[in-house]
Amino acid sequence: MGPLLGFLRRLLHGESRPRPPRRRSPVGSATHASETIFLVLRRMRVPLIVLIVIFAVSVLGLTLVPGRDAAGQPYRMGFFDAFYVMSYTASTIGFGEIPYPFTPGQRLWVTVAIYLTVIGWAYAIGSLLALLQDRAFRQALALQQFRRKVARLREPFLLIAGYGRTGELVGHAFDALGRRVVVVDRAGDRIDDLELDTYHADVPGLVGDVRDPGLLGIAGLDNPSCEAVLAMTDDDEVNLAVTMTAALLRPDLPVVARTTSPGVMERMRAFGNPSVINPFDAFGDQLRLALHAPASYQLLTWLQSGPGAELPTRGEPPRQGRWVICGNTRFGEELSKDLRAEGLEVEVIRPEEAAESQDAGSADGPEPATGLAGADLRHAVGFVAGTDDDTVNLSLIAVARQANPDLFVAARQNLPRSGPLFAAMDLDALLVPTEMVAREVYAQLSTPLLQRFLRGMPARGDEWAAGVVDRLAGRCGRRLQALWKIRLGPEEAPALQAWLGAGTLRLGDLLRDPVDRTRHLYVIPLLVLRGADATLMPAEDFVLAAGDEVLFAGRPASRRSLETTLLVDAVGEYVVSGRQVPSSWIWRRLSRRPARAG
Amino acid sequence: MNLEKVVFGFFVLLAATLNFGFFIGDLDDRVLHNVYELFGAVVVSLIATVLKFGDRTQIGAVHLATSLVADLQLIAAALVWGYADHISSAGLTPGATASMVSLSGGALLANLVSVVLLVVETVSFQRR
Repeated sequence: MGPLLGFLRRLLHGESRPRPPRRRSPVGSATHASETIFLVLRRMRVPLIVLIVIFAVSVLGLTLVPGRDAAGQPYRMGFFDAFYVMSYTASTIGFGEIPYPFTPGQRLWVTVAIYLTVIGWAYAIGSLLALLQDRAFRQALALQQFRRKVARLREPFLLIAGYGRTGELVGHAFDALGRRVVVVDRAGDRIDDLELDTYHADVPGLVGDVRDPGLLGIAGLDNPSCEAVLAMTDDDEVNLAVTMTAALLRPDLPVVARTTSPGVMERMRAFGNPSVINPFDAFGDQLRLALHAPASYQLLTWLQSGPGAELPTRGEPPRQGRWVICGNTRFGEELSKDLRAEGLEVEVIRPEEAAESQDAGSADGPEPATGLAGADLRHAVGFVAGTDDDTVNLSLIAVARQANPDLFVAARQNLPRSGPLFAAMDLDALLVPTEMVAREVYAQLSTPLLQRFLRGMPARGDEWAAGVVDRLAGRCGRRLQALWKIRLGPEEAPALQAWLGAGTLRLGDLLRDPVDRTRHLYVIPLLVLRGADATLMPAEDFVLAAGDEVLFAGRPASRRSLETTLLVDAVGEYVVSGRQVPSSWIWRRLSRRPARAG
Repeated sequence: MNLEKVVFGFFVLLAATLNFGFFIGDLDDRVLHNVYELFGAVVVSLIATVLKFGDRTQIGAVHLATSLVADLQLIAAALVWGYADHISSAGLTPGATASMVSLSGGALLANLVSVVLLVVETVSFQRR
């Protein structure tokens, strides 16, 4: 039936939407789903035929068995009455004997028919219910429903492959921004959690192996509205497979992948240009930034944390001295590389080696205290507990603090449930790899301007960053409210085109309150992008031009006020020039005043 | 020999022959159209429809469509008969008989298409 329907659809709608030239992704899993439906139909054949035959035999028999009418004359029941009697008898309603009381012969036949039809119904309904309970059938139904939901998505959405802790954080951050997400994960309970989660928008979720390109196609890789693919599983090979699939089938899409292995990172980079996030590497970079510019680090983590994040406290890490890092190979290497680049002396301890060097017979697992004994913690300034076991990390911190209470302590938290324990430890820096990845993804995909701001920010120095933090906290509160972008073109700012064209619109005038223009909106412009030139933290008298893109941070109410200024002519006029002008066309004609100031 | 094909062909042909037997004869003469034959045609046609469930081929889809058409026409004919014989005060008039039989004639056309499809399927299978 498929080709026929497809042809009709093409005939009716025409090829209206031009598709970008690319290879179609195979839809193996889609045909699999319809196959299951056909299988169900096939399995219903026998019960249905049994039911039809039983009914036919019963009805036919009832018309043939001789009866007697009210006057005692011989009478044969017609098909109409027989069908009626059998219908209510078979469905156990039982209206009685019509049109005349039955003869013993008819009663005998109806008795047989009752047992036959009850068996027939029970068999048919039982088979149907068994099919509805069937796992394959339910999966096929879920897949079809998911495919329909994704195919109907007309607004841009993110495809998240792997809905672990990272995927969840990313999903919530983008949902708060009003962006749509589609989720695929191998674990059924993760997808079930979607229904209980508090998302604003409906999030289509599917259980399946994301290494299957057909499945990714159904999940929206094939959909023109898909704006990015995120490979967020905790398996490097799976992430690599997703990156490859996306790069080969949709080369135009940005891909963000997560890995902790430099080797996998290289292999990912061989396919197109995906942005690969290594949480250890990112943590090393941020620790470096925290060491030489605590305020920049504070601003960076604040802006990366997404809407509603509280202002993080500014740490005071030691600028010089010896650091001790306790962690497995990948983590230790990444971190020590970054710290050495900062000119610090670094000692790396591998807990598994330390455990081997002591008595091999005890087999109690890594013994952190003995491993740290040779590290001379008394003369160190910083300590990093970075193994992939939370219990070991916590005990390492305890031992290190005992040896030297003044240590700057950083730790790695692997499981979300250990969060309260690490919080109780009152650490100076904490790496949660999943959250680190989520923050990086948010910074890269929420708006390109934020990424631009974060890249340009460290170069401005620590004092500048401290000033920005003070301004942001002073104007918008200690919770980061909303970050958004406005393009000063005719679509988003129609009310201001005259001033933009004349080159007389200053940024400070734009940010006045439409109710009372002497008041300032609770909005801070973070960045103005003109062509390829970015201006960080533009001043009040910055002159805007048409086509500029501006990144704002501020309260949602102020965002709505600003939108009114941009869209409504009369409001724009009042905010920028202070003139009250009539807002309707006819009053503007009558007042005979030039509506626009040049 | 495939038993499934035998059963399938049997029911498709039986539906067509019963239908034909009921249809043949003067349109408005009730004596020539036995209602038991109509009953048989309806039952066999329903079974043939269920047998065509779950066939994914193009020809299977058309089979199912023709069968559904035949069912619709035969059930309509049965309804006409039920109405005329039991509900209408006039009884089974020549007019009612004619409309019942002509409805079954439409079903016969659909059943003939089914038979043609069956033959086409068989012939093309042997050629391969």
